[in-house]
Amino acid sequence: MNLFSLAGVELKKIRRSKILLILLIPVIMMWIPSVVNAAINFDTRDIPITPEKNFLIQGFMGMAWFMVPATLVVCTVLLTQTERSGSAILKMLSLPVNTARLCLAKFAVLILLASAQMVMTIGAYYISAAAASWLQAYPFVLEPLYVCRVALSIYAGAIPMAAVFWMVAVLIPTPIFATGVGLASLVPSVLIINTKIWFLYPVSYPFYLLMVEYGKAAEGVYAARVDWLPWLPAAVLITAIALGIACMRFGAAERR
Amino acid sequence: MNRIETQNLTKAYGNFTAVEDLNLHIRKGRVYGFLGPNGAGKSTTMKMFLGLTRPTRGSFHIDGKTYPSDRTAILKEIGSFIEAPAFYGNLTGEENLEIIRKILGLPKSSVSDALELVGLTPFRRRLAKKYSLGMKQRLGLAGALIGRPPILLLDEPTNGLDPVGIHEIRTLIKSLPQQYDCTVLVSSHLLPEVELMADDIGILNHGRLLFEGTMEELKARALAAGFPADRLEDTFLAMIDEDNRKRGAGR
Amino acid sequence: MILGLETKKLKRTGYFPAFLAGGLLAAAFPLVNMLARSETFTALPGNPFDILTDANGQMMAMLNMLVSLCGACMMYHTEYADGGAQRMQTLPLRSGRLFGGKLLIASLVLAGMVAVETAALAGCAAHWFPAYTAQLPPLIRNAAFQWLVTLPTVTLTLVIASVCKNMWVSLGTGVILVFTLSIFPQDNPVLSLFPFSAPYQTLAAAAENGRVLLFSGVCAAEVAAFVLLELVCQKVRRCAE
Repeated sequence: MNLFSLAGVELKKIRRSKILLILLIPVIMMWIPSVVNAAINFDTRDIPITPEKNFLIQGFMGMAWFMVPATLVVCTVLLTQTERSGSAILKMLSLPVNTARLCLAKFAVLILLASAQMVMTIGAYYISAAAASWLQAYPFVLEPLYVCRVALSIYAGAIPMAAVFWMVAVLIPTPIFATGVGLASLVPSVLIINTKIWFLYPVSYPFYLLMVEYGKAAEGVYAARVDWLPWLPAAVLITAIALGIACMRFGAAERR
Repeated sequence: MNRIETQNLTKAYGNFTAVEDLNLHIRKGRVYGFLGPNGAGKSTTMKMFLGLTRPTRGSFHIDGKTYPSDRTAILKEIGSFIEAPAFYGNLTGEENLEIIRKILGLPKSSVSDALELVGLTPFRRRLAKKYSLGMKQRLGLAGALIGRPPILLLDEPTNGLDPVGIHEIRTLIKSLPQQYDCTVLVSSHLLPEVELMADDIGILNHGRLLFEGTMEELKARALAAGFPADRLEDTFLAMIDEDNRKRGAGR
Repeated sequence: MILGLETKKLKRTGYFPAFLAGGLLAAAFPLVNMLARSETFTALPGNPFDILTDANGQMMAMLNMLVSLCGACMMYHTEYADGGAQRMQTLPLRSGRLFGGKLLIASLVLAGMVAVETAALAGCAAHWFPAYTAQLPPLIRNAAFQWLVTLPTVTLTLVIASVCKNMWVSLGTGVILVFTLSIFPQDNPVLSLFPFSAPYQTLAAAAENGRVLLFSGVCAAEVAAFVLLELVCQKVRRCAE
């Protein structure tokens, strides 16, 4: 069975799990305060940034720092728990399907869910930007190409992080611990992005990419260019190692 | 001809030996009853056949193929039901089977066929987590029977069923080799149950095979050893008891 | 007695190691911060301890809340998962004391975490700022304040965990509250008193605005209010079930 149809099967498994709701709630929780506090965007505190870009960056900041990572953590645990509760994993392991491929198919679903959340985020941005424009009588709405590019860069940055979280969820069978480790790992990313070794910490990638975007929009706030060189190979390597370990250990506890 | 054969199959977890030097011969087209008290090593043996656990020593062949080199080929031939029924609670019974069907690459009709075989058709649209224990058990069986595989591994398939359900499932299992050409390995800790279903029988205690043969051979053996042969339940209990005594003495 | 019982229930759940790991992780923040960019901080004027608290306090507070949240979920999960809570209800034991025992444990391990963090901050201050000498009384005041402003949050997470039988609901609610309230501006006097927001307050900042007493008083009142809320919830549940 190829990866594509296997991912289709995996998608079927999460029916009625309310996972879309889990993706949507953080998006709403992030953008409502943005609309309510829209006036803050005019007070740029001597940072040379336009209010509309400030609105976008501040809104995405919460998403990139914790809401996207936190939902990824919850989704990874949910995906492993659908197998472990009701011991459905035993049935899967006794079917003629490659375990590593099964593991990758689940990761593909995770990535797909993350992209669904990104689409929701963009939608929520436009709704709240329109609402803020109306409330403040100032045009907050930015052109779609720019917004999509920012969202896409955050999404791309989230993939290595998703791989690491997926590995954590596979390795730690107790769901609350897997979640705890994942959530605790988000906290220091605000510290890590200001150090030289940020590229070794995948959880900080989306935040870093957004800060670079911030640096482009407002001169002097942060680096205005992505340091591709140590980062890209490191990101690829980390993703590959994390997925490799996840594939090797997937279902290992059940086939002692 | 033997469908499944094991050579000195052994599984040890640390100091505890779950299965020891097992030599099974399961013939094609027969129902093989795998009998033993709880913790005798029946589930462990079946898990080894499915590649769910790796043998410590020894080997086994299923249709001439072996694990791990032919894992996928073996699993394609086996329908299995191991320990508690495994399912996705958020899906209906039908959807659960649909997932297995897709992975096995079976035609669409096989789902309704499997549901019909175990009598779940009226409840196919209900969520699996809302199923009663007996219905979950039937769903697990349907997952094993789907696509009518040539080999069936059923671990305690009547656990949790009411007397009517037990009778139905028993009749179903007994009829399978006639319905289509298949070999069944069914485990139980109840001899009367195995007696009603199985052609051949293997008795396991503390991981060792005490007896293997047909029901008639078991009766003959019981008579020769001075065990009561009119009620096979007593024979079984006496055999286990004697084995336990010997082990106690050996220690 | 209730304390011993509740402690026993947490055996082998990994509750205490989780807090230890959380405390050590939080203690690593100032260390990493100073190792990576000490010159940013040593150049700043003011009390070294306050500088470091300012730089790391927010992350520590967030971690304290997240670990406490996971701990609360774990505590009540052991109750609900295998019907332990039902058994407890059938024993001649006041259910309020059950919550009291859990709150006591949660507040003690929180105190432990805060103590480890304060020690880490003081250690870093002493190492990187030669002029700084650690004195116990101000450190204890800082730790006590940090503990007190985090306590309402811990109590509320326990209330949420006790109300929702499904651990994931209480965990999700908690996580969203932690992250949503973290983006509210800390200079807003009313919002900063809320649970999930108050823990970001440092003693130095509160002292500067003359709000130390206000924070202490309001947080103590919040704890009392949440305990009361829990008792009401238990009454309601008993009537409803």
